[in-house]
Amino acid sequence: MALLEVKGVSKIFTRRKKSPHIVLENMSFTVERGQYVSLLGPSGCGKTTLLTMMGGFSTPDAGEIILAGNKVEKPGPDRGFVFQNYALFPWMTVKENILYSLQVKKLSKQDQNKRLHELLEISHLFGSENKYPVQLSGGMQQRVAVVRALASRPEILLLDEPLGAVDFQMRELLQEELAALVEGAKTTVVMVTHDVNESVYLSDRVIVMSADRGQIVKDVYIDLDRPRDRQSEGFKAYVSELTELVRQAFRGKTVELQPGFADVNCNSQTSFADAYNRMTSRYTSVSHGRVAK
Amino acid sequence: MERNGSTISTNTIVKLTPGDIFDKYRGTFYSLVVVTILLIAWYFAANRIQNTLLLPYFQETAREFFTAWFDYRIMSNLALTLRRVFTGFLYAFLIGIPLGLLMGYSQTALQAFSPIMNSVRQVPIMAWVPLSIIWFGLGDGPTVFLIAMSAVFPLVINTIAGVHGIDPNYYNAARSMGASLPNIIRDIVVPGALPSILTGCRLAMGFGWMSVICAEFIATSAGFGFLMVEAQIRLETAQLYALMVMSGLVGFVIDKGFLIIEKKLTSWRFKDGFVGS
Repeated sequence: MALLEVKGVSKIFTRRKKSPHIVLENMSFTVERGQYVSLLGPSGCGKTTLLTMMGGFSTPDAGEIILAGNKVEKPGPDRGFVFQNYALFPWMTVKENILYSLQVKKLSKQDQNKRLHELLEISHLFGSENKYPVQLSGGMQQRVAVVRALASRPEILLLDEPLGAVDFQMRELLQEELAALVEGAKTTVVMVTHDVNESVYLSDRVIVMSADRGQIVKDVYIDLDRPRDRQSEGFKAYVSELTELVRQAFRGKTVELQPGFADVNCNSQTSFADAYNRMTSRYTSVSHGRVAK
Repeated sequence: MERNGSTISTNTIVKLTPGDIFDKYRGTFYSLVVVTILLIAWYFAANRIQNTLLLPYFQETAREFFTAWFDYRIMSNLALTLRRVFTGFLYAFLIGIPLGLLMGYSQTALQAFSPIMNSVRQVPIMAWVPLSIIWFGLGDGPTVFLIAMSAVFPLVINTIAGVHGIDPNYYNAARSMGASLPNIIRDIVVPGALPSILTGCRLAMGFGWMSVICAEFIATSAGFGFLMVEAQIRLETAQLYALMVMSGLVGFVIDKGFLIIEKKLTSWRFKDGFVGS
């Protein structure tokens, strides 16, 4: 049985003086134990909404989400959630942040210290346990956020654009750290991202969602060895395939499962595609600049 | 960005020139210059006006000021006033903080209490004096009441603002880690609102100190404010000036004290821990 089941989930936002906005309609998929799954799509495609529902912070208007046989209804320590801005408690030290879920559970000091040791080990945060978040670099904050979510040994780790606030130069480095960290913890992950490169680098499987009602454009399995080589032909092929799929997703069209999407006519929707093209080309030029250095 | 910051700070540690020391106390130096200019202006103005009832000589006021600190009568009245201020502040704190936390956390409580609170706080504090005398008679009662009354609103308002300023993701994060409501109040709401609460305390203390002097003009026959009225009636303007300067100075010191407490309690906000200034 799959660890996580998303069964016919729909979410509709009611808007004042406007027609209701259907964010997700009849969304279904499953995640196997140990899988690293990315939800990839343009902003506004409902990927974060879906993750929020997995976290239990909001409830689906139709359908249900089942984790390890239990219906998700409210937040709980069986799901580790990493927020986009990390949401580390600034008034608690690294140690207090990491151990918060165990302290709430009233675990013995001995067990807490044992777990802290393990978590500091996999996150290379020894020596920083008594610092406050404001004193940490962005990368260290990210690692604290991830191990804090892992502390209670959750069934699944939910990552909401964990590198969304990080500048481009820093991002690849943090992706490597994140990959190592998650691999060490051997956990199941669902990550939301809008960065194609990131999704290929980190995931076993990428679910591309469209801007229109969050329909699944395509479910892509990334069959590459880890650690992944960004310069390899295979990596680049996945990136270009997914980039093209996201472009499709922008237009809100679900496509056939064959990669025969190059012949789509762009008439009225050209402006969307152009905007995305401009965006992606700007990003690639930045990365070239970095390589040249 | 970050790298830049750290190189600058290492430089200052490595080489502390007299210029750097001056930089550190630059603010103190400038404010002393302004005070000195004002005092010199006072000295010459008093000599020119030659009317000690309106503007006493600077030397005379300075003498009054320095002897006042060794005058038993003045010091015991000052102590009495300070005791009233702290008592009133304590009442305001015990009412204002829980009420502010409740109104900040619960939208229902905010809607229920804010209209009445926003009306009551528009009543000028001096307008409470007659009623407070009717309620509490003369002496400590009305003064403590007036202090509490003027201190409670900045406390409530700042506490509400503090709770509202907490990132909603902190609540979500805590709940996803299994926190119950008491956990959330203790671990998220109170520490999250603390910086704002402490700002509220500073304001409340300032308002309390201001209103106690006014209250003592009318509602009591002892205290620092009462001494001022006495000095005025006896036409001892120099002493009145000295007492006013003292009241400003005492308020300033209390405020500084709160500032230090604030920095100590919220040192997590500063990159290099506690910075005294």
